[in-house]
Amino acid sequence: MLKYYLKLSWLSIKRTPMLTLLMVCAIGLGISVTMTVLTVNYLMGKDPIPSKSGELFHVQLYTYGPGQNNAQTDDGFPYQLTYPDVMNLHESDIPTRKTRSLATGFSVIPDSPEQTPFMESARAIDADFFAMFKIPFIFGNVWDANVDKSARQVVVIGKSLNDRLFKGENSVGKELNLNTSKYTIVGVIDDWQPAPRFYDLNNGSFNDTEVIFVPFSLLPVLELPSWGNNNGWKTETINSYQDKLRSEIMWVQYWVELNTPAQVEEYRDYLAAYIDQQKQFERFQDEKAAAKLNNVIQWMEYNEVVSDDSSILVGLSFMFLAVCMINTIGLLLSKFLKRAPEVGVRRALGASRKEIFVQHLVDVSLIGLAGGLLGLALGQLGLLGVKELYSSYEQLVYMDTTLVLIAIAIALGSSLIAGLYPAWEICRTNPSVYLKTQ
Amino acid sequence: MLKMNNIKKVFRTDLVETHALRDFSLEVSEGEFVAVTGPSGSGKTTFLNITGMLETFDGGNYILDEQDVSRLNDKQRSRLRNEKIGFIFQSFNLIPDLNLFDNVDVPLRYRGFKAKERKERIEHALERVGLSARLKHLPSQLSGGQQQRVAIARALAGEPRFLLADEPTGNLDSLMARQVMQLLEEINQQGTTIIMVTHDAELARRAQRNIHIVDGQVSDYQDLQPVLDVIEA
Repeated sequence: MLKYYLKLSWLSIKRTPMLTLLMVCAIGLGISVTMTVLTVNYLMGKDPIPSKSGELFHVQLYTYGPGQNNAQTDDGFPYQLTYPDVMNLHESDIPTRKTRSLATGFSVIPDSPEQTPFMESARAIDADFFAMFKIPFIFGNVWDANVDKSARQVVVIGKSLNDRLFKGENSVGKELNLNTSKYTIVGVIDDWQPAPRFYDLNNGSFNDTEVIFVPFSLLPVLELPSWGNNNGWKTETINSYQDKLRSEIMWVQYWVELNTPAQVEEYRDYLAAYIDQQKQFERFQDEKAAAKLNNVIQWMEYNEVVSDDSSILVGLSFMFLAVCMINTIGLLLSKFLKRAPEVGVRRALGASRKEIFVQHLVDVSLIGLAGGLLGLALGQLGLLGVKELYSSYEQLVYMDTTLVLIAIAIALGSSLIAGLYPAWEICRTNPSVYLKTQ
Repeated sequence: MLKMNNIKKVFRTDLVETHALRDFSLEVSEGEFVAVTGPSGSGKTTFLNITGMLETFDGGNYILDEQDVSRLNDKQRSRLRNEKIGFIFQSFNLIPDLNLFDNVDVPLRYRGFKAKERKERIEHALERVGLSARLKHLPSQLSGGQQQRVAIARALAGEPRFLLADEPTGNLDSLMARQVMQLLEEINQQGTTIIMVTHDAELARRAQRNIHIVDGQVSDYQDLQPVLDVIEA
């Protein structure tokens, strides 16, 4: 019967083209607004590394002195760690993998006289960083793990930088001039742009990933500057880079990979023991001193990657869709009641109320589907508009298959809900009224 | 096979109660051709609608082929209507944007016949009314008499035991009316029970039995002439 109902729906559309067009436009407009907002919101909160998001943990320590808390977070924990804490925690062998991480940057001085020097953001990390975050290499590999202990001037670069400087050729073994030093290229990674940029939410959740990665062990050697946040709470005299390394300034991040619940538990115990130890050393003097582990999703929630404003916007867009659907209900009623005489005939010829109801819901579904497709097309325009307005949202303005399916499902679902009342009304009409007067 | 006992039907508005049928009782046997006459507003169409289960009733009981209609739900009534009853209306009630084939197809779709059987039945029904060559025509391309013949084909395609006709010749000229009546008589002779509401005394005279309804109550006349004279007058 579905094929038959689809045929009747098509005839019905041909009979009332303007009414149908109005409904398709109303649904399309509602879907486009909803999908534009929902796409941005969905991609903001999407798991950026689904296969490992539960095994990667960001470490936080409450290290403020009593009454010195100036954190912006709800629980008072600072987002980042001090250099001494990161160095201490890095001694633990419990994590399967671990990496220190600092946003930094360099002046890149190309060998070719045709190219002018340029500034490029970079990241100081440990070798595990690439395996932890599943970053694919196209040439070479990461540096030897020993480099994390005894610094060497090696570098992994991104594909875009390799294309720019070496025209996409294998540049492993070549040298790269960063600031005033030469670094040997050991690997080239493929394009890698997690959205959100979960490994460093402090410095722009949707900013571009870095294309220069150097060993964290170079920090004390080359005195690499921080290009990210530096938060202090203690009055300290900082006259040199070494002073900063010894200070209570929070400016470094730390990630660990813990693959089993037992490992997580063991690491929590380790952190608790570390807090106790530091208290005994009278470095952590506040009773609130504690450690905290957040996996990727928890860390995104903690950082409110999807802001309350975005959620409110999603709510408003659904309200707009509801307004469009309420208009559609009126148009559907008008369309269906025009067909009441035909329904009377069908009832007289043996159609049950249920069959009339289903026939009209199929009719609504077809209109909803057309509205959904129009909404998808208009939604693409909406996303292009978002892209033009907010360049940092570039990673968030595409619809993947899931979102396309969600758009169709919302269009069909909302149309069916809107069609319930008109379909119910028409199936309840008394056929005898129309059979005599048609 | 069709038995109504003390059927009551009241139409209510906020201000008025109209008794369309009062203690209406009737029996129609298999193969009969019954003409129903009566003045306007006497309850003829209400009777026909209740017979076809398009209207519910407020009292009494109605047995159709040993089934108590008042005990059936909408689905069962629709099924019974589809299987046992064919309708013919004064204004034909063909669906304007379906061609003849698809119009005749409507009751067969709800019956659940397979495509092959539907096709055979449609072609046979249209052949029976002399319109097999115009399967793809739309109703608007036919004359009134031809449209009514299509409506008859649609009513017959499911081989119902009852044919309910509400003023089947009311919109036709006398020549076409005679042709349609002739067709109905042939159908009746082949075993289908026909109940026909009409204002036309000549047509009523051609039925085997006449029911005269006045103020929602039935009078069953064997001797038709005095009544028909009154109607004609």
